[in-house]
Amino acid sequence: MTPRRVVRRLMTAIAETPAIGIAIACLLLVASLELAYHNESQARADKVRDVTVQARILAASLAGPLAFNDQTAIHEYIDAVRASPEFNAVGAYDENGILVDGFSRMGEPLPQRNQVAGPIVQGDELIVTSAVAQNGATLGSVYVGAATESWSRRATRYLGIAVVVVMACLLVAVLTAFYASASAANRRLQAEIVGREEAEEALRQAQKMEAMGQLTGGVAHDFNNLLMVASSGMELLERTTDPVRRDRLKDGIRQAIERGAKLTQQLLTFARRSPLSPEVVEVGQRIHALQDLLERSLREDVQVEFEFATGLWPIEVDPSQFDVAILNIAINARDAMPEGGRIKIAAHNYPAGGEIRRDMVRLSIRDSGAGIAPEMMDKVFEPFFTTKSVGSGTGLGLSQVYGFVRSSGGEVKIDSVVGRGTTVFLMFPRSSQTLPRADIPADRSHHVEHDATVLVAEDDEHVAELVAEMLRELGYKSKRGATAAETLRLLEETGPFDLVLSDMIMPGKMNGLELAQEVVRREPGIPVVLMTGYSEAAATAAAEGFPLLVKPYTIEAMGEVLGHALHQH
Amino acid sequence: MANIGPSIALFALLAAAQGSAARGAQPIEYAVKASYLYKFAPFVQWPQTAFETPTAPLSICIAGSDPFGPALVEAVRGQRVNGHPIVVRHVEAVRSGLACQILFVGGEESGGALQAVAHEPTLTVTDHNKSGAGGMIQFVMVAGRVRFSIDQAAAQGSGIAISSKLLGLAVSVNR
Repeated sequence: MTPRRVVRRLMTAIAETPAIGIAIACLLLVASLELAYHNESQARADKVRDVTVQARILAASLAGPLAFNDQTAIHEYIDAVRASPEFNAVGAYDENGILVDGFSRMGEPLPQRNQVAGPIVQGDELIVTSAVAQNGATLGSVYVGAATESWSRRATRYLGIAVVVVMACLLVAVLTAFYASASAANRRLQAEIVGREEAEEALRQAQKMEAMGQLTGGVAHDFNNLLMVASSGMELLERTTDPVRRDRLKDGIRQAIERGAKLTQQLLTFARRSPLSPEVVEVGQRIHALQDLLERSLREDVQVEFEFATGLWPIEVDPSQFDVAILNIAINARDAMPEGGRIKIAAHNYPAGGEIRRDMVRLSIRDSGAGIAPEMMDKVFEPFFTTKSVGSGTGLGLSQVYGFVRSSGGEVKIDSVVGRGTTVFLMFPRSSQTLPRADIPADRSHHVEHDATVLVAEDDEHVAELVAEMLRELGYKSKRGATAAETLRLLEETGPFDLVLSDMIMPGKMNGLELAQEVVRREPGIPVVLMTGYSEAAATAAAEGFPLLVKPYTIEAMGEVLGHALHQH
Repeated sequence: MANIGPSIALFALLAAAQGSAARGAQPIEYAVKASYLYKFAPFVQWPQTAFETPTAPLSICIAGSDPFGPALVEAVRGQRVNGHPIVVRHVEAVRSGLACQILFVGGEESGGALQAVAHEPTLTVTDHNKSGAGGMIQFVMVAGRVRFSIDQAAAQGSGIAISSKLLGLAVSVNR
């Protein structure tokens, strides 16, 4: 454990125990007691000093009368002191300590004999004695009993303050205890939040996999069809020599392969494990791109219609979550229509006004299915709630939709009439950002540079041969390196090359991206194009700014990308 | 307290004086006068020349016949005023240079004695003198009690300062 962690743990421990508050409260209490005691002794010392001074003044005044036994004068002085209610008893004593004159207000009579001593406190009375002296000759003494504040009065005086102090201490203690428990609760809550976030992330992934599962059936079926087209097309191609028929067959095969490629691309993107990363999208475009997947996850007796208003505002959502949400709603719609039916997906702009405080884009997905019973309406967004039979649904679909839309700042509403159908409304706030530019329009008029030489880095023998063939078809010369190291060596020794085309996944120490970076470093004039079948690798390459060929690709696509890359340099 | 050890004898005399002074009994009157005589000392300030050293004794001189007897000697034993121990001396013939701080001249024949110490720092004390030649302090009887009058002017003439406390108690003061 590092010292910092120890300190932090210590701080947490202190924050979560009321000890420090209780300590502060005790300290406060002790301090006020100490202060009260100090005040009290200070007041007493003052009082003693005060009464001593008075006694000395009286003693000085009585020196003459006592020495010469002037009773009248003694009585006058004593009477003068009597006027002050502060003194309970005052006595004048001659040089032998015998009482000469005096008074006592309280029941206690004056002592008959007096002896000079230090001040003492008897009950509520402070007794001070003082010698009557003149020029070093003692002529008598005085006795002064002064009233001190009684215990009850003092207690009353301190009671008010004591109540305030005790209340303050209690308050401190209670507040600290409260803070401690709140702080402990907060820590538990934080831990729970972290736990929930993890669980939610896992749930999202599970929901995606659930949708994948839904898709798999349709996709496998479709792939089978595509493979059927391709294989039977190949077979027929071998058997016929009619050029028209051959062309038609080749077209069919190419189309089948293209559709298959598109489908796998979508699946790869879809299955990618990624955190929520909002992008600016246009609802119409996004759903159109999803059309293939949608059709494959629905049955043939379900028709999908689209109705998108022109000039839809862009919204900011995680595209893959958006796709999953649309698929989930569509699959629910499909399941609500066992006899087949229609799904209508529409999107409109929804300007701010009334209850809507900001511009929104409203997406509605309407089916002509069984509808949802009113008593179920409250539950449809709850996780694991499903009306489907065991094994056919997880109950995660609409909860994913709800979670996704809310985390995107939008709202979900369901409008349903039993027997007539259900409409799910998704409202997304309008994004202030503009839509990223779509792909650069293909430059169809690029001219092939027949003398251009391409250095190909590709580890797979078959793919390399195919690529070389395609390059030749496009009018390029090519040379191939099987590894990054070999490619770099060829670049140094057998150049010059006009372009480097590299696979992203390469054996050896250096992968395709690193190779591309190395080539740019060594020969900044030579464009580098990367090719890959992995969507994640593709994203990395795009982030690095390299033009990309996504496998599988057509000769046309290759010609376009390479031509563009050469043209730009 | 240490420098005054009140004698039981004087105490007894005083107690008797308080009770019987009114009856004019001679011995008791003098017992009171004896106690007054040495009690004047703390209220009187002599010039520095009056004492040879700071601890030189303070002499109470009794001129002629001694009306006080041993009571006075007993009473002043161990007493100190401003560091000066009090002693009682009997003087047969009063003359200058006796170094008495307090001189008591009893009887009517006091004039000559007073004259002898007129230029010395001596506090002269006399009984009430009808001839008018009294000392700086004269004992008088008022309503059967022993009181005194003070001739402050005479005291000042001899360089003696008398405390206002004492002046306040006097029956009369000649300023």
